Amino acid sequence: MKPLSFIFLLLYFVLLGAVISAPCYADFSKNLRWSLDGSARLNHNDAMDNTSRIYAFGLDTHKVFTNASGDIGYGVGQLYWTKLSNHMPVPFLFTSKDDSDFIIREAHLNYTAGPNWLPNIRLGHFTLPFGLEESIDTNGRLLDYYLGKNLGSKLDWGLSLNKVISKIEYNVSYTLGGKDKLKSIDGSYAVTGRIGSLNHLDFVVGLSLYDGKIDGISRKRLAIDWRYYWGTWGILGELALGEDNKQDNIWQKEKYSLLELNKTSINEQLKLYSQLILRNRESQANTDKLINIGLSYQFTTQFELSMSGVKQINRPASGIKQQLARVQIRYRY
Amino acid sequence: MKIICFLLIRALLMLLLYIDNVEAVAYCSLRDPVAQIEQLFPQKTNQLSIVKTVGEDTRALVKIALPSNDLHFNELGRHTLYIAMLGKEPLGYVHVRSEQSDWGLVEIVWAIDKDLRITNFVFQRCRSPKKKIAQSSSFKDMFIGKNYQELKELLSYDGITAKQSVLENAQEAPELANVVLRCALKTLLLTEMLWGEELVKL
Repeated sequence: MKPLSFIFLLLYFVLLGAVISAPCYADFSKNLRWSLDGSARLNHNDAMDNTSRIYAFGLDTHKVFTNASGDIGYGVGQLYWTKLSNHMPVPFLFTSKDDSDFIIREAHLNYTAGPNWLPNIRLGHFTLPFGLEESIDTNGRLLDYYLGKNLGSKLDWGLSLNKVISKIEYNVSYTLGGKDKLKSIDGSYAVTGRIGSLNHLDFVVGLSLYDGKIDGISRKRLAIDWRYYWGTWGILGELALGEDNKQDNIWQKEKYSLLELNKTSINEQLKLYSQLILRNRESQANTDKLINIGLSYQFTTQFELSMSGVKQINRPASGIKQQLARVQIRYRY
Repeated sequence: MKIICFLLIRALLMLLLYIDNVEAVAYCSLRDPVAQIEQLFPQKTNQLSIVKTVGEDTRALVKIALPSNDLHFNELGRHTLYIAMLGKEPLGYVHVRSEQSDWGLVEIVWAIDKDLRITNFVFQRCRSPKKKIAQSSSFKDMFIGKNYQELKELLSYDGITAKQSVLENAQEAPELANVVLRCALKTLLLTEMLWGEELVKL
């Protein structure tokens, strides 16, 4: 983790520590949620014939700030010590397959006390507002909507304007494109936005836009996402069209689509999902077709078991089909 | 650096002393029912959140007050009561509660007045095919204006279903009437039990 972002979160937790240690604990603990969050994930990548593990242990906090006339805003801070064990390919946050580091997930403040016409203002490290991920949070879960693969990063440092109004909600952000680093790297940036119908409804539709340059790759995206729930069944999808520019002035078309059918038990302990993912690049002869089947079982409020299996159904040019099985246990205390 | 480590360790130890029930989901996924509060209190200028813990002790008290009833595991943890504000004046309270049904969890956003009577409600989530019936004013009127004791009188002897008169008024949605009644009772009970002291001071 690089200094600026680390200092940002360190300050948050030192401040938290200082006020908790001080006699005014009762005031700060007001409207504070916090949880110790630990997980262990076992992955078996059949294509690479490799078994790996990821361990994460961290603090997840949420605090609502108020004054006499109401809420001013809220803050979210998530710092996780994360350890890899034989994990390949090595994720960008790490330097080797057995590396460990402190990782900032979400760390932001959202100012909500402005007049009705003024959007809320979010500042910090947050999930880019795009597609299904804007409505369904997947942080720390096996469930994934592949935001990172599609946009170049799932989270980024920056500013967003967001609001829920009577029939719609929107969230537009400008971020630095440094991913975990609180700076722009070689001209990196990301402009991301989504407007959609209200998130709690049985039928939700959203339109997302993205224009960014991350890791030296320029990307443009236009996406539609939708969800429909009937009883304990849900069907949802996302279609993103766009183009990538990995080298100057050579734009290549990209198409990504996801279709998911899910089912929950009536007490919500068991959740099952199956996804069909299609990814097409102009430079590739074939469309990548993957199936992902997963489940999660919530034993108690604290303890959850998740499993998922991904299998590529088309034959790629390399001849090696993606095939990945994962199991995760997660405990929140 | 030593001071920072000391403060972090001390903070962690203090947090462990004040351990609470937690939510199963990461806190970045929390969403306030902004649109529903607006719908229930259109004149409000802001909302004031008060977060309290629904723990196992609270769950036990609910079982005593409402025999045969229980709280869903998602109902444990830190929960928010919203005060709808007009400037610095409280207009009423908003409390979201879930109740298990045959169509998964039904999440209801309740509007409550300062005397802890139901003034209105909207569904945050209800996947019953008969949801429209439960949104009609004739259905809602069975609950609106009532306090905890008056709602409890609508319960039949089994403690989990509504009396026959309520079920008849519920037209073709008697199951939803049972769910809404149980949810209303638990909402008012928890509001008074956990937030009562602070609400008196407002």
